[in-house]
Amino acid sequence: MDLSKIPLFWAVIITGIIFVGIAIWAVLHPRKYIYEGAETKARWRDVRIWAVLLMAIQLAIYAVWGG
Amino acid sequence: MGIGGYDLVIVIAYLAAIPLFGVFFKRYVHTGEDYFLAGRMLPFWVIAMSLIGTNIGAYDYMGAAGGAYRFGIVQANYEWLGAIPAMIFASLLFIPFYWKSGVYTVPEFLGKRYSTAVRTIEAVLWTLFLACTLGIFFWASGLMLHTYLGWPLQLSIILIAIIVGVYTVTGGLAAVAMTDVVQMLMMLVGGLAVMIIGFNLTHGWSGLVSMIKPMHPQHFQLFLPLNHPQYPWLGILFGLGLVMSPAWWCCHQAIIQRTLGARSAWDAKASMMGAGFLKTLVPLLVVLPGLFALALCKDPSQIPNPDQAFPWVMRNLLPAGLSGLVFASFIAALLSTMDSTINSTATILTRDIYQKFIRKEASDRHYLLLGRVITVILVCWGVVFAPVTNKFPGIYVAMQTLLSYFQGPTLATVLLGIIWSRANRWGGLVGLAGGVGISIGLTLSGMNFLYVAWWSFVGSIVLNVVVSLFTKPEPLEKIQGLVYGLVVKESSTQELLRKRVEGGK
Repeated sequence: MDLSKIPLFWAVIITGIIFVGIAIWAVLHPRKYIYEGAETKARWRDVRIWAVLLMAIQLAIYAVWGG
Repeated sequence: MGIGGYDLVIVIAYLAAIPLFGVFFKRYVHTGEDYFLAGRMLPFWVIAMSLIGTNIGAYDYMGAAGGAYRFGIVQANYEWLGAIPAMIFASLLFIPFYWKSGVYTVPEFLGKRYSTAVRTIEAVLWTLFLACTLGIFFWASGLMLHTYLGWPLQLSIILIAIIVGVYTVTGGLAAVAMTDVVQMLMMLVGGLAVMIIGFNLTHGWSGLVSMIKPMHPQHFQLFLPLNHPQYPWLGILFGLGLVMSPAWWCCHQAIIQRTLGARSAWDAKASMMGAGFLKTLVPLLVVLPGLFALALCKDPSQIPNPDQAFPWVMRNLLPAGLSGLVFASFIAALLSTMDSTINSTATILTRDIYQKFIRKEASDRHYLLLGRVITVILVCWGVVFAPVTNKFPGIYVAMQTLLSYFQGPTLATVLLGIIWSRANRWGGLVGLAGGVGISIGLTLSGMNFLYVAWWSFVGSIVLNVVVSLFTKPEPLEKIQGLVYGLVVKESSTQELLRKRVEGGK
């Protein structure tokens, strides 16, 4: 089997699944664990949202320039 | 490069200001914890900027721009797929455990979770690697001043040693982190200047693409086919994305140490996540210059080696005045990596070697003094060792090879230690040592380094699991607070950790 013939499309798909999986994993963390040690419970301090934003940016980058 | 007049003033002013700024933080250093962990007082944004400053060295500028010149934007994988997911893992999974366990180093954490043997192997490997890279950094920075400013080489190395030494010895991690913030800003400004001028000359992104793509159709793809000799996509995905990058962001002492200086568990988490946003911008600084060189250099003989792409951009695209600024940002990249390397090596030598094996019960003041003495010795070592690195041109490659030997096994050992309560001291030891053996064997067989990282990681995991299952588990009281499931779910463990952190303050 000539592995080089596997379309790059699959690399983008697998990467997309990894990014979405990480975002879901981040969101599933308990609120108490996320805010532990935070001065306030302000929404902007929810690092789960930061993780989702980071993954969304990566998803967009790889969707455009993946292959 | 046409350095002169205003450029020289900018560079000299920068070199003079950095140690003065760093020494200011001496007033906050009274104990060993102040020196090695900045008194656990750093806010998340300082650590985030320091992380990126430490992460990007002058070699990254040269190497990444050179890689982009040769292969295209695939080089950006080191900053995106090969960093951001790992930083999220580090933020939510690894760093909270390091921070709460009250350790100063990654080997120290492994000592708590596994055994002294595992801790010592890790400490020795990291010390060897960091101390040797120090000589390379000193040589590179001296060479830079010598090449662009015409200053004598040995004098340039000594000057850099004095600049870095003054604030690293006196101010410890606080000075290192705060100067990294300034240096990170310098790098951003310098990179932005190159980007604006480059896009101006290529008429924007679409102009850049149209100039390069007809000759190099794969230069704007983040993934390359599986038969690509350097960057096959499967290697990028599994070797870089799932092993090398998490090993760097979750287990590298110079990276982890500043997060341990966070003022709270939240700041520790947020620092790495915040650094992720900055990291997203890094390809603009280090990859774009390589593409500008490829598009705008009409005579390829001017860039005989791809690593000359960034210097070519500095020499040929930047007007007088801006050259000094970009050159200062280049020095900033080197200084911020050097100071962190010195500080981290001193911490490992003090905590994992001296305090563990030579003098266990000395006063805090003793360890503070010792940390400073070791820092001075490391700076002197860097100066003496720097010319040696030039005599052996393969030494940089050798150091990178050494790093690749233990990156996968280290990640496997730390990861299993955190997520699997059944992993024990024997599993950790055999997994780590066996994984390094697998790395060496695969490298000698000629396998691509990305695949070596992956398979040594897998081998280390398998060895750790099998040996742990056949030997006695660790007692619960030993691993309480060090395993993910126990911390996230059990309120009694959370209470224990809260008391441990409060007690440590």
